[in-house]
Amino acid sequence: MPDLMKLALIPALLLASMPLNAAPPSKIDVSKLPQQTRVIGDVIVPVPSEIFGVLDKLNSKPRWADVLRPMKTVAKPFGDQSQVALYLGSVIAEGFVAVEAEDADQVQKIGRSVLSLSEALGSKVVKAVQKRANAIIDAGDKKDWKLVRKELDRALSDVKEAMAQLGSEQLSQLVSLGGWLRGTEALCEVVNASYSRDGADLLHQPVLLDYFGQQLDGMKVRFKKNPAIGKIQTGLNDIRPLIGASDGAEISAKSVREVGAITAGLVKAIQNR
Amino acid sequence: MTRFFKTLLILALTVLPAVATVDDALSYSLEAAQPYVKEGFTVREDYWGGDMAVSQPKAITQQMFKGNEYWFWAGTDVKGSRISVHVYDSEGNLCEVESWQKGQLSASRVVPKRTGTYYVIVEIEKSSRERTHWGMAYGFR
Repeated sequence: MPDLMKLALIPALLLASMPLNAAPPSKIDVSKLPQQTRVIGDVIVPVPSEIFGVLDKLNSKPRWADVLRPMKTVAKPFGDQSQVALYLGSVIAEGFVAVEAEDADQVQKIGRSVLSLSEALGSKVVKAVQKRANAIIDAGDKKDWKLVRKELDRALSDVKEAMAQLGSEQLSQLVSLGGWLRGTEALCEVVNASYSRDGADLLHQPVLLDYFGQQLDGMKVRFKKNPAIGKIQTGLNDIRPLIGASDGAEISAKSVREVGAITAGLVKAIQNR
Repeated sequence: MTRFFKTLLILALTVLPAVATVDDALSYSLEAAQPYVKEGFTVREDYWGGDMAVSQPKAITQQMFKGNEYWFWAGTDVKGSRISVHVYDSEGNLCEVESWQKGQLSASRVVPKRTGTYYVIVEIEKSSRERTHWGMAYGFR
């Protein structure tokens, strides 16, 4: 039997050996999960609020206004599409910080920036995002923070869907990556201000590093020509040993500072000409 | 009609129903999520979906954070089918604190003891179709 066929049978043997309606097995051997059952390409990147919410619960009373990087004007696109996609992701992540800081003025600037950057990604993306950007601005005006969070997530989803329809999945992945980098930078800043083991533990995200690493390796040559992409690849490799070798491993204050410095440098490479 | 347009028409007729059924499966999942939204869960806009044969489960790798609580809601669009969803930690231990299965809907709740990688195992246990469309959403609070 060819190896591929054998592999195809393993998931059924490993995972589907239980009878119908039976209780699920209390333990599975994850090291033997065959490659084709792992849907690593379908990793859903957490939105910053998923992590920021935990920081709030840890009672560290983050000073979100200090973490927020205020925008003086509406963000303008520059560089090629890969740069704009990364920039757009980082701006959406800033929106989540602005919500935590309850800064209505910044939320509105971010809403307009989302629209401005989307224009550089094509008319279909603008069309998809227009409604969301307006909703972000309106909800910010009404200080409906819950709705702003929802609309930011919807904006991310709509941008990605529009790009997928245009056959630009790689650009949509860069939007997620830009958002993750800015979200991680903000997380490090909060944890650095008041270190706790549980707070630092939030940086333990190996599956996301693997996911982004794979996406960057497979990027089109024209996107790889963007110097920011190369810097991010190096940065992700540098972050890997700092975020804990295994689930539950302690991440030191020094490691948090280092991850913060790396991500800050990468966000700078994304947002500055 | 040119051959090009015929090809387009055939493609549309075959692809569109497939897309619609994944959407239907997801709609069921999102319906199952509604009561939990009232309890403060934020449902993500991103989702998983596709089609699967009976008894050929998928393992989805997912990042979760200690301090949050998660629900995963999975559904299919096939009446009389049965789907299951269960969550394991990075060491392969079943870690859900609650789960339910109601025919073509299933859900699992997790309160992660650690921040890190988890495996969400989705399976079509019974279906009248060779391949069954499924959709899964998750929420956190």
